[in-house]
Amino acid sequence: MIAPKHILGTFDEVLASLRNNVLMMAGLTERSLERAMKGLFNRDDNLCANAIADDEEIDQLEIQIDRDGVAILLRFQPVASDLRRVVAAMKLSSNLERMADQATTIARRARKLNQHPPLPEVDLIRPMYEHAMSMLRDSVEAFVREDVDLGRAVVARDETLDELNRSASRKLIERMAQDPDQLRGYLNLIFIGRALERVGDHATNIAEDAVYAAAAEDIRHQTLAASA
Amino acid sequence: MDNLTMTTPERTVMEDVDQPAEPPPADESAPACTFRVKNLSIWYGEKRAIDNVTLDIVSNAVSAIIGPSGCGKSTFIRALNRMHELVPKTRVEGTVLLHGEDLYSNDVDPAIVRRRVGMVFQKSNPFPTMSIGENVIVGLRLNGVRDRKFLNERLEKSLRMAALWDEVKDDLHKPGTSLSGGQQQRLCIARALAVEPEVLLMDEPCSALDPIATAKIEELIYELKAKYTIVTVTHNMQQAGRISDYTAFFYLGRLIEFGPTTKIFTNPSERQTEDYITGRFG
Repeated sequence: MIAPKHILGTFDEVLASLRNNVLMMAGLTERSLERAMKGLFNRDDNLCANAIADDEEIDQLEIQIDRDGVAILLRFQPVASDLRRVVAAMKLSSNLERMADQATTIARRARKLNQHPPLPEVDLIRPMYEHAMSMLRDSVEAFVREDVDLGRAVVARDETLDELNRSASRKLIERMAQDPDQLRGYLNLIFIGRALERVGDHATNIAEDAVYAAAAEDIRHQTLAASA
Repeated sequence: MDNLTMTTPERTVMEDVDQPAEPPPADESAPACTFRVKNLSIWYGEKRAIDNVTLDIVSNAVSAIIGPSGCGKSTFIRALNRMHELVPKTRVEGTVLLHGEDLYSNDVDPAIVRRRVGMVFQKSNPFPTMSIGENVIVGLRLNGVRDRKFLNERLEKSLRMAALWDEVKDDLHKPGTSLSGGQQQRLCIARALAVEPEVLLMDEPCSALDPIATAKIEELIYELKAKYTIVTVTHNMQQAGRISDYTAFFYLGRLIEFGPTTKIFTNPSERQTEDYITGRFG
C-alpha cells in the first residue's frame, strides 16, 4: 500500500530527494564494481581507471546523504516508517561507499595483474563476482521495494559467497606453492576475492537495513543471539 | 472504598494524606496499574465524546495521550478524576477503577477523587489574590489543615518537588501571578502535589511555555514519575516521545492504539496511528 502524502509537502520532497540520492549512489557503486571487474576480465586499464574515478562521486554522495539525513532529523523529527527510512538511507550510503572502496581496490589490483601475462585462475573469481553483484542489486532492490522476503533471502546468500571465497583462496594458495614465479599475481587474485567477499558483507548489511526500514524488524546477528 | 468515601469529620485529611493507597495486587506477568478503564463511554448531551475505551494506566510511569483536536483526549483524562462532570449534561458508561476502586460508584465523593487525582492545566492558573505560599497550601487549608508547622513543611516539600523552591523561597509572600509563565506552571504543579495525590493528570502542561520552561517541566515530569503515576495530554509528538513510557492514540473518541512509546513511535501497529504521527493525516 502506498502511504498517503504528508500534510507538509516539503517533507515529502526532502524524503524523495534523499531516496533518489541513495538510488543514484547505488547505481554508481554497481557501475564502479562492474567496471573494475570487466577491467580485470577484459584486461582493460581504462575501465579500471574509470572505476577508480567513480569513487570520488560516490564519496560526495555519501556526504550529501548524511548531510540531508541530519537536516531531515533536525527539521522534521520523523517518526515511525519515516524515521526508519531516513536512518536506513544513511546506513545504506555508508555501506555503498565501502562497497565502492572495494571496487577501487579491485581496480587497482586488476591494473597490476594486467601488467603481466594472463592467469587462467581469474576464472575462480568469476562466480564470486556474479554472486556478489546479485547480492548488491537485490539488497538495494529490497530497500527500494520494501521487500522483506527479498531482504532476508540476500542475507542467507552471504554464506555461499564466503564459501566461494574460501574455496578460491585455497586453490590460489596451492597454485602459489606450485608456481612461485606467479606469487604476486595469485596474491592479487586472493585480495580481489577478499574484496568481493566484503561486497557481500555490505550487501548483507543493506538487506538487513531494508528489512528494518520496511518492517521495523532487526535481523542482524541472529546466529549470535540464537547461540547465546 | 474507605479512602473515597471518607466524609466523617473525625478523620482529618492529614491522616488520610499520610496513608499511601494500598498497592495494587502484584501480578508477575504485567506491570502494576493505577487505573483500569473498561468500556468507558462519555456523552456531552447527545454527543458521544468517548467511545467504549478500555485501557490500563501503568503505575509510576508517564502515559501520553495524543490525537487530533476533538478526539476526546481531554475528556478522557478529565474522566480519570471526574472533572468532566463540571460540564452540564454529561453521562458516563463503563468503569474507571483507581487501585481497584470504582470512581463512579454512587457512594464516592468527587471532591475526594479530585484530591487523590491531581490535575494541571494547559494555562497556568494560580489564584490571583493569593501569594505564592498561599497558592501552594490552599488545598490543605480547604481540607481543614491548621497546623502551621505542618503547612510550612508541606509548602517547602511541594515547591522543592516542583523544582521551584530555590527560585521563590525568598518571595513566598509575593503574588503567585508575579512569577513567569513557566514558574506559574510549576507553582500549579506544586499546588497539585501539596495534597499528596496518587496521580497527576496534565492537560497540555507545556503548550503555553517557552522551550526552556518546557524543558524544566519535562525534567520535572521525569523526576515525579518515581513517586506518581502521570497521565499527560500533548499535541507535541516529540514531547510525547521524550517524556512518556506509554502512548495512547485517540481518534474520534475511540482509542486506536495504546502501547510502549518506543513501539508507537518506531513501528505503530495501526495505520491511523502511523498516518497521524508522521503527519499524513487527512
